[in-house]
Amino acid sequence: MNVRLTNTALDVGAELAAFVDGRTDAGALVNFVGYCRDATAGQPVDALFIDHYPNFSERQIAAIAEGICRRFEILDLRIVHRVGRIEPGEAIVLVAALSVHRGPAFDGVRMLMDYLKIDAPFWKQESGPDGARWIEPSAEDLARRTEVA
Amino acid sequence: MARFVFLGRLRAFGDSTDMVLPPDVRTVSALLTWLGDRHPDFADACAGMRAQVAVNQTIVRDLLQPIADADEIAFLPPMSGG
Repeated sequence: MNVRLTNTALDVGAELAAFVDGRTDAGALVNFVGYCRDATAGQPVDALFIDHYPNFSERQIAAIAEGICRRFEILDLRIVHRVGRIEPGEAIVLVAALSVHRGPAFDGVRMLMDYLKIDAPFWKQESGPDGARWIEPSAEDLARRTEVA
Repeated sequence: MARFVFLGRLRAFGDSTDMVLPPDVRTVSALLTWLGDRHPDFADACAGMRAQVAVNQTIVRDLLQPIADADEIAFLPPMSGG
């Protein structure tokens, strides 16, 4: 399992190629890529800034990912998440899972993304024409909070 | 000297700073009281957003947790996810 936070652009193709390289035991690769949009709720977004707590954020995410691997019998997980300034059109996150059959990989990627979007130790700021504002999880997000062990 | 780390919107108070803890500030609870006296704006911001405290990268569950001058003490606003 690999968890990496980076302030440089994601090369999704290279990440996936490296992830599956040499694997002969996996029958399924499922991946999700999340992108920075140019608007939220109808308001223009010029850029995102994602803050993190070095080492702490990686360890927290890895602990959740390990639980998901066990729960869904996933062979391997790769998580690459941008931090720092991100502009519309840039990839923010890649989550990829390998499993023997497709079901566990789909389930694991969905649960991990729900965690990363709502509960992961990041602090997100949106910038637009009216300035910058820090984003807090909505009540709806919290209601969807994913329980993973 | 303890290192204080500020995250998210608390970076308005700085990214990090090193500070010598007074001899009588040896628990997280005492630290919060001390900060409230010295930096009320910061203490109010932490209380208002229900910020968490981490000592040496572990979230504090017990405010009587001891702290020492070599510790890294982080102030974490509610996490927003990515």
